[in-house]
Amino acid sequence: MKFELDAVYVERGCEDSALAARVLRAIPRDVPVTHVDDAREASRPASGARDPFGAGKRRLVVSHRKTPFLMPCPAGSSKFACCGYLVLTLASNCPMDCSYCFLQEYLADNPAFQVYANYTDSFDELDRLIANSRGRSFRVGTGEIADSLAFDSITGISRDLIDFFGSHENLTLELKTKTDEIENLLDVDPRGRVLVSWTLSTDAVYRSSEHLTASPAARIAAARAVLDAGYRVAFHFDPLIAYPDAERDYLLLIDELLDVISPKQISFISMGGLRMTPRLRGAARSRFPDDPMLCGEDVLASDGRFRTFTPLRLNLYRTLAHRFKKAGAEVPAYLCMEPASVHEHVFGAVPARPATIGERLARA
Amino acid sequence: MNADETDAQIREVANERRLPSSHLDRWLAMDPPSRAAVLDIARILHLRTGQLVTALDIVEEISVRDQITVVAILDRPEIRRIASGSGSAPSRASALLEALRTLRYPLLKRMQEQLRSEVSALKLPRGISIDLPKDLGSDELTVSLRARSGAELAHLLDTLDRSRSGLTRIVEMLGGKK
Repeated sequence: MKFELDAVYVERGCEDSALAARVLRAIPRDVPVTHVDDAREASRPASGARDPFGAGKRRLVVSHRKTPFLMPCPAGSSKFACCGYLVLTLASNCPMDCSYCFLQEYLADNPAFQVYANYTDSFDELDRLIANSRGRSFRVGTGEIADSLAFDSITGISRDLIDFFGSHENLTLELKTKTDEIENLLDVDPRGRVLVSWTLSTDAVYRSSEHLTASPAARIAAARAVLDAGYRVAFHFDPLIAYPDAERDYLLLIDELLDVISPKQISFISMGGLRMTPRLRGAARSRFPDDPMLCGEDVLASDGRFRTFTPLRLNLYRTLAHRFKKAGAEVPAYLCMEPASVHEHVFGAVPARPATIGERLARA
Repeated sequence: MNADETDAQIREVANERRLPSSHLDRWLAMDPPSRAAVLDIARILHLRTGQLVTALDIVEEISVRDQITVVAILDRPEIRRIASGSGSAPSRASALLEALRTLRYPLLKRMQEQLRSEVSALKLPRGISIDLPKDLGSDELTVSLRARSGAELAHLLDTLDRSRSGLTRIVEMLGGKK
């Protein structure tokens, strides 16, 4: 296990689950384990902690999820040209600590790292989705409100997921991560139905903002390893941060990526500029007051989020898109949380409907 | 003035201005030369509460981004010129905030100037106004026509049509084209 835990809580009723057994077997002996009647109590911010959100990340709670696992991406909005991504919530929060992370706002009242003992119930939801949408393909990810692989060495969830998705040809599983925890993936056959994606940031962003994550070079090396093991790979340049020298650094990062993985082998890329609601910005700056990446030339945009002012942000998108275009093979690309007009500026074409983009990316 | 005296005077100014406690705390957390420099400029320019809050926010952000002290920011020639210049305190206070915003958002200010000069180069008549998005926070250009007769409207539309390439360039600049 690469991340440290202060405590583990197991909700009553989950003690005999396979997940709880795996977790209790894998954690160090000195981590205290407590059984609780209601996991919500253990998931709340610790009163008196100097950094309740940070403390929550070090508390692992095994509980029973009572609400559906499958949902549309919470970032989706009719204001944006979305990618048709479906989210499978098998865990909540992340042991890494990126200064810009939206979970600081999204999970402020619920910061413990939660994993759901009944996660295989999600397979029934996926079966129903396929049965009700014959002929359609879906891209389903587990990396929206958790990192898909951060605790996989103790939960082992990825193996069950890969087994399930490997036998469903209309589904593509996306495991999104900033780690290099790929050991569990290397001896399972994904049968072409699993893609692993990495958020890629420049060294400057990694050093300044992405605490406890794998380095960009380690992420690229991990991507090469899973590619060789039969997985598809994709990369998210999100958040793109427009600091001085960002353009040069991002182009260098792309060169480093393309030195290791050819454009033909990349299923898709996405880009999204750093965006923060005023509440998130306040939380982030309060937790990371010395991070220069949080003090860029951001202005309040029409969607109520602070974003790098538009021409600078779009210029960065265009520069990266152009670099991939010049790479010799077309790499499918989309923008996250941007309106259709921005897609037109960057790619020169109106984006397709979210469902269409989702299908294309599922098959990419 | 020693550090204790400076801090006492900072508290006095904060009390007079009813400065939010979070801002007072951040002010007092600065290194001694920086907090004294903020005190000096607040007094010289008679900064009002909102101006002091804005100034503290901006200098802190510049300090974090550029990894320099606040006193180094306030010691820059363009800031010193304002602090020691002539003119009324309120006008110099406004000039200070504008100068700090330019330091905080150098690329934005440059881009706004470029776009404004593109707009004025179009030499459009009074009946046509071109509005850039606030703080360049979107890619939307607003073009308004004000006409009181059919002939006037036709004239404005003809003028707009002749300005097509210039306007397109402005929209493309908003869309990130260099």
